[in-house]
Amino acid sequence: MLFNSFQFFLFLPIVFVLYWFVFSKNKSTQNVFLLIASYVFYSFWDWRFSFLLAFSTILDFSTGLIIEKADSHLKKRRWMRFSILTNLGLLAYFKYTNFFIDSFIDLFNVIGIHSDPYTLNIILPVGISFYTFHGVSYVLDIYFGRIKPHQNIVDYSLFVSYFPLLVSGPIERATHLLPQIKEKREFGYVQGVEGLKLIIWGLFKKIVIADSLAPVVNEIFQNYQNHSSITLIIGVIGFAFQVYGDFSGYTDIARGVSKLLGIELILNFNFPYFSKSIPEFWSKWHISLSSWLNDYVFTPLALRFRNWGRQGVFMAVTLTFLISGFWHGAAWHFVIWGALHAIYYIPSIYSKKGLKSMVKKKVELISFTDLPKIIITFSFVCFGYVFFRADSLLIAFNYIEIIIIDFISNPAQLFLLPMGVKIVYFSAIFLILELLIFNYKLFSKKVFWLSLLLIEIQFCYDLFYSVDIPNTFIYFQF
Amino acid sequence: MDIKIEDLSPIFCEVLENDDLLITESTVAADVPEWDSLNHIYLVVAIEKQFKVKFTTHQIQSWKCVGDILTDLNK
Repeated sequence: MLFNSFQFFLFLPIVFVLYWFVFSKNKSTQNVFLLIASYVFYSFWDWRFSFLLAFSTILDFSTGLIIEKADSHLKKRRWMRFSILTNLGLLAYFKYTNFFIDSFIDLFNVIGIHSDPYTLNIILPVGISFYTFHGVSYVLDIYFGRIKPHQNIVDYSLFVSYFPLLVSGPIERATHLLPQIKEKREFGYVQGVEGLKLIIWGLFKKIVIADSLAPVVNEIFQNYQNHSSITLIIGVIGFAFQVYGDFSGYTDIARGVSKLLGIELILNFNFPYFSKSIPEFWSKWHISLSSWLNDYVFTPLALRFRNWGRQGVFMAVTLTFLISGFWHGAAWHFVIWGALHAIYYIPSIYSKKGLKSMVKKKVELISFTDLPKIIITFSFVCFGYVFFRADSLLIAFNYIEIIIIDFISNPAQLFLLPMGVKIVYFSAIFLILELLIFNYKLFSKKVFWLSLLLIEIQFCYDLFYSVDIPNTFIYFQF
Repeated sequence: MDIKIEDLSPIFCEVLENDDLLITESTVAADVPEWDSLNHIYLVVAIEKQFKVKFTTHQIQSWKCVGDILTDLNK
């Protein structure tokens, strides 16, 4: 069930009404109802994977209790490792089995041993990358004594499978979400209105921005050999706005839906394309994943390598970004995308201004003197997107090669901006509007109705012209 | 060892490059803007070097506030 589907627009009002008007007497019944609703929501994809979700939930819940009661550090460590390895083993099986089979076949072919390509027909359970991270962080936090294990399995199950964040995050922490689940929620008018605004704005970003850009970007990336350098550059910039509209739009809807249910989810995007450096970009893009990787991958690695000085930090950063790339997709072009961002980090590590605190509450005021830094950072991010968006490593390299060779042969094309320029123009205005509307609290009724009107127009246009609407969100595949 | 907060303070000021920094036993990373994940690593290295100790990863990961560092130092 997608957030932008008619099913969901039936599902949400039903859940809302039952949640606030039928099951609102106490928080336990509210939580049982929300848990059932979450499993119904999840089962719309493939009901069989509900059992996997339940297994993962019970495993981490039980492990938490066992670790707490274990009488020696050794036993605690063994149980922690058992839980983490089981979780990551399941993730590896469903997500990476075919990647490893393909890679081994390629490797054998290189050394002259030819084998028949054989891959398994494994379906990736939706959201497994996200709920696995919920469970892993919960167990590690208990192991390190940061939190106490939760005693109520319904509340814990809801923390893992809460439907607004189940399939694409944001990746929540037990310290933030579980206290809200434990408390009784009261419906607040202001919170409800804010939730609706976020849902409308998220739908606007997904349907009007991302889905409008998708056909143009897809065409450019699929037929990149037939396009000029400038068109390929516009294709990448278009993808930058598409992926932002798609994923931050999804997150806004998730946060808005959750607000309607009286639960606040963490901020996941904080105007990342206005960042003045790569570390700042990562503190504002997919914040819940960045901070998760920071706490559970980078910090343990950096501690292990701490006596190697800056080289140790660089090693930790590199491994963290490689894992991040691999998490995004079981393909080498994602790994290279991660490696590229690790390289981008080098100046920050050696100037020691690097990894500033991960979540900043508010975007700073931007002055014109910041503009060159913003443009340079955005250009580096876009260069990385070539690897992120391309279907393979070879295509990514070819794409970049055409950009360079075609540009050298005809540099004047920079001033002959083709049709794609309107995408960039349109998208840049949208980003500035978003900054003004949300950061400076300008989300008025007019903006609300205008967004709704534009969503309606886009829907009607798509229906009338039978446009092939991208019916899913980019981050669902991760 | 009897290490006090006054002994840790200069290390924090130096690593976090903030001479006006005042830390107490209840200070947490979120209270100090300069105390990010990278500086946390440098802090660990500086404290280990100054007091000639070696913390385990489990000890470091369990710290919630400056007081926890002092507790482990004085063990």
